[in-house]
Amino acid sequence: MVSPDQPAPNPFWFSECIVMPMPTGKAAVNLRDLLQTLREVNESTLSYHLWQSRMSIAHPEVEYPNDFASWAANALQDSRLAEKLSVIDPFGFENMEQIREALVDLLEEYLWDLPSVPWARPGFQFYFCDVSTIVLRSQIVARTLPEFCSGLMKVGQNSIYYHLMDARWRLRSLKTDDFSHWIKESFDLPELISAIQGIDIWFYTLDEIRNTILEFVNQYIEKPDDNAPERT
Amino acid sequence: MTTRLKELEPIVGPIAIDQLRRMGDRLGRQRLVHINSTRVGGGVAELLSQIMPLWNELGIDARWEVIEGDQGFFEVTKAMHNALQGFKVNITKAMLNHYLEVNRLNAGRFQFDADFLVVNDPQPAYLIQHMRSRARRWIWRCHIDASKPDRKVWRFLREAVRQYDASIFSMPNFAQNLAHPQYLVYPSIDPLSEKNRELSQEEISGVMNRLGIERDKPIILQVSRFDSFKDPLGVIEAFHMVRAHTPCKLILAGGEATDDPEGPRILAEVQEAARDDPDIKILLLHPESHYEINALQRAADIIVQKSVREGFGLTVTEAMWKGKPVIGGAAGGIVLQLEDFHTGFLVHSAEGCALRIRYLLHHPEVGHRMGRLAKEFVRSHFLMTRNVRDYLSLMILCDNPGSRSIEL
Repeated sequence: MVSPDQPAPNPFWFSECIVMPMPTGKAAVNLRDLLQTLREVNESTLSYHLWQSRMSIAHPEVEYPNDFASWAANALQDSRLAEKLSVIDPFGFENMEQIREALVDLLEEYLWDLPSVPWARPGFQFYFCDVSTIVLRSQIVARTLPEFCSGLMKVGQNSIYYHLMDARWRLRSLKTDDFSHWIKESFDLPELISAIQGIDIWFYTLDEIRNTILEFVNQYIEKPDDNAPERT
Repeated sequence: MTTRLKELEPIVGPIAIDQLRRMGDRLGRQRLVHINSTRVGGGVAELLSQIMPLWNELGIDARWEVIEGDQGFFEVTKAMHNALQGFKVNITKAMLNHYLEVNRLNAGRFQFDADFLVVNDPQPAYLIQHMRSRARRWIWRCHIDASKPDRKVWRFLREAVRQYDASIFSMPNFAQNLAHPQYLVYPSIDPLSEKNRELSQEEISGVMNRLGIERDKPIILQVSRFDSFKDPLGVIEAFHMVRAHTPCKLILAGGEATDDPEGPRILAEVQEAARDDPDIKILLLHPESHYEINALQRAADIIVQKSVREGFGLTVTEAMWKGKPVIGGAAGGIVLQLEDFHTGFLVHSAEGCALRIRYLLHHPEVGHRMGRLAKEFVRSHFLMTRNVRDYLSLMILCDNPGSRSIEL
């Protein structure tokens, strides 16, 4: 537990992240097209469709963790392929080329066993997008855990995305995220860090992630003693 | 003094407004000029009227210029517009020369210098040939569904567009094979406009009385022009299938498609299909009937947009913003907005449309939940503040060419 007044050696500045999709003009109308284009596109196109597109269009319910799996389910109406594509966790890889290899391998294997190439239903082609991002510092800063909670309640979804989701890629070699990293540097709360790092971010909306973290952090802030005598 | 940003703050939240202000501060007093072909009528003029007051509040020195042309010029640009949408048109060499000449004359007339010049659609696209040095960055903003453009017309236009620093499209499939960066900026709606602002029950009832619509049965509504792409006949077909099971009424509200050669025939067929049916109401509304459309959408129980071809589908966005369950054809941007059982329903046929209408009539609680989710989805993605944020982002990105990730 940590006293609500205990200051961190360094404050936590919340940042915001704007994701600007950049359509490439490349599209896939069937699974073979998807495979072929996946071999050629920029690495940033892969990251966009694996996790960044959530900042461009975030549907209220998260069924599949990435655009490729969603497309397999909704456009090809192939649940089996969608399930297989859902297993790819990009943050478990060292670099983008490894992720590309894993995707290509999975699709080659899947196509190999199919009698015919599955096509997207009309209106559901896969359009590949590249991406540019802008990160800007907000004016919200936390020096204590209660200030951290109050900041977390105020910031936009894009801050949650940046500090948790994007950070898991940026800090993948340390297997951490911005929130966990700050708490580790500031307070002796290894269990809180494990709880935050244990959130399976792929199946939560950003607001659900916000509420889950708030719930976790609040458990580690000392509350005024309920049994203390009332002041007169 | 109440500013536009202050009015938007309770709708989009203080963080979103604060972000715009910080981005504006970061950019400083940049000179931003929008150029299009008209100050009134059409989606582009509507968007520019909405965002212009915001620029000045954000400290951007913005102005809006309009290209001038004679009837011949606008005939050419109308044909170009249709060609970009994939229609076969006949544009002669003489017509293109006239188009180029009008662009040249306008370039001579414009007196401004700009940091960022946003040129909307094909009409003023060739200004860049004559005034490249007058703006630091040139951005072409294409609002048209150019997913399958006529090859010759696009080849002509591409000669101008390739000279720009960046272009913006409304949907990923509208993007072209261009060497410069292409960005995706979804269209948006103004929650404070006559078409989208909150209305009281009295205001809604007043409009319904004036239009002679009794609210004695559930109302199914489609708001759209009477053209073949919006499939009003398919909606009537679906309605007949539904009414065989459940009492309800259908309102088809919209304007005549004056620029669609098929328009008059479609309208006649719709009127014929609806004749003698007291449960179907055809409303031919003036293009500026925003208040009436707003009231109709708020009075409806279920809103349909059964398009078979669509650009982005802002009528869907507007219906979602009113917290209504929406059933849309799986075309264009409707696919992006409606997610089955969450933010709406996507359908592929009149039968599918009837199926979902029947489902929603008998599960109103699902419709209410969808409507709530749909409204929040629009709040997060398709309000004008997001559009302004994207323009600010674009200005930052254009000034940092070659950099895909910028930390400020």
